[in-house]
Amino acid sequence: MLHPPYAILACDVFSDELIELGGDPPPWRALEFLEMGLHDQPDKLRQKIQQSIHDLESDREVQAIVLAYGRCGNGLVGIRAQRCPLILPQAHDCISILLGGREAHDAQLKKTPGTYFYSPGWVRGKRVPGPDREAYLREFYAERYADDEDMIDELVEVDRDAFEHHNCAAYVSIVDRPATADYCKDCAKHMQWEHTTLKGDPSFLQDLLNGNWQPTRFLTVEPGQCVAADVEGNLVAID
Amino acid sequence: MSTLEDLKTAVINGKRKDVKVIVPELLESGVEPTSLLQDALIPAMAIVGERFKNNEVFVPEMLVSARAMKQAMAIIEPKLLEAGISPEYTAIIGTVEGDLHDIGKNLVATMWKGTGFDVIDLGVNVPAAKFLEAIDEYKPQIVGLSTLLTTTMPAMKETVAAIRNAGHSKVMILIGGAPITQSYADEIGADGFSKDAGSAVDIAKTTLGIA
Ligand code: B12
Repeated sequence: MLHPPYAILACDVFSDELIELGGDPPPWRALEFLEMGLHDQPDKLRQKIQQSIHDLESDREVQAIVLAYGRCGNGLVGIRAQRCPLILPQAHDCISILLGGREAHDAQLKKTPGTYFYSPGWVRGKRVPGPDREAYLREFYAERYADDEDMIDELVEVDRDAFEHHNCAAYVSIVDRPATADYCKDCAKHMQWEHTTLKGDPSFLQDLLNGNWQPTRFLTVEPGQCVAADVEGNLVAID
Repeated sequence: MSTLEDLKTAVINGKRKDVKVIVPELLESGVEPTSLLQDALIPAMAIVGERFKNNEVFVPEMLVSARAMKQAMAIIEPKLLEAGISPEYTAIIGTVEGDLHDIGKNLVATMWKGTGFDVIDLGVNVPAAKFLEAIDEYKPQIVGLSTLLTTTMPAMKETVAAIRNAGHSKVMILIGGAPITQSYADEIGADGFSKDAGSAVDIAKTTLGIA
């Protein structure tokens, strides 16, 4: 597939999949990852993405910027570029992208509404519900509440409560990562959830990488335009 | 002797144990239960919400404060009943079908309780039909819908339509959740929207005409 020399700005959640699917030599001219945790704060995510687009655009060889992001809780709404078109998947979040589209995501949630999704990227942060989350939180809050053991206990407890409506760990597999797949099983056991493996569908990411930017699956935002969402939930470009 | 200011600070800092001591002390010294709510608890949670918005505290810290507020309410509610203060308005609230996020919804429910509404919480992943049943059963003046997922915003739209189609034209529908905007509320025919728990109280009062 012919495509202009592009730079890809991606959420770190996709790093295993993108590097492997990209192959050698990779199809991109430049690749930048942003930290995954940003999605917890959509406003901060938007700021960082905007800044990175600006930086990537300063490379005059780059003719398009591809975003490996979903709508991400409106974190992508309001994004614009000055010189290059932006290409982004028509998707709500990374889970839909890894599953190849909205349908598979919806089907799993319909079957088991209490599903929490895991993937190599989600697991890498070790923040997923499982055996290591509590230790992570304790360390994270230790600095802030050094002399307040009570407060740290409370924080760990409310965090545990936050998952009380979940009952299933679903591992989305695209690239082969046996250790990660096993870790997800450990997580399910630790949380006393059921476990399932969902076969991911690489086509969304492959099309993204190969320049197969069909308007049904990808939005193109011309320079100067900005990303918005319509009432139906689709991403659109506005002036 | 503890003051209302101490109670406010305890809630802001999530000190559940302190709250357990301060609230009975204040009640004993003759402070009105409603004043505890209006002058300490609600302003405290408004401040916590503000800090969260400015990224000064994270979700779990806000939850610890909410727990402290709930602790206080558990002590205050029986006193309100004793004093013969029965809620004038009923609200039902829930997170729409397909969505399990409930932190924001719970905060709004707590704040509404704090202002003196009777609040029926339907929980998470609530189908439209369940909202309709609850409306028939509790005859609320307000229905609150919450969603955090852009994928379940259509379920919110369907729920609003179902309530209207069932002929409940008088019940006020308020909506919220991080991806929700005023223009979305207008679009789907909701009566109001608020972006945080503090203004959820204001909007509820305004739509009821009691602000
Ligand atoms: C905490 C959180 C979780 C917790 C939820 C715990 C719980 N019991 O609620 C956990 C970790 C379990 C979780 C799970 C998931 N989450 Co989550 N989560 C969040 C996060 C970080 C914060 C949400 C929150 O609680 N905010 C704090 C509260 C106080 O704010 P609020 O909800 O906006 O509520 C305020 C206002 O909106 C308003 N309000 C809210 N409701 C109402 C109602 C009325 C009537 C009114 C008037 C006002 C009002 O007042 C509230 C109080 O101030 C958001 C990101 C974000 N910053 O929004 C992601 C986010 C919502 N989650 C996301 C995702 C993808 C998921 C998962 C699918 C992840 C996975 N790997 O499986 C699952 C979803 C499962 C499901 N089916 O629901 C995405 C959503 C993407 C999308 N498609 O839209 C987000 C945006 C993160 C991201 N960018 O990727 N999540």
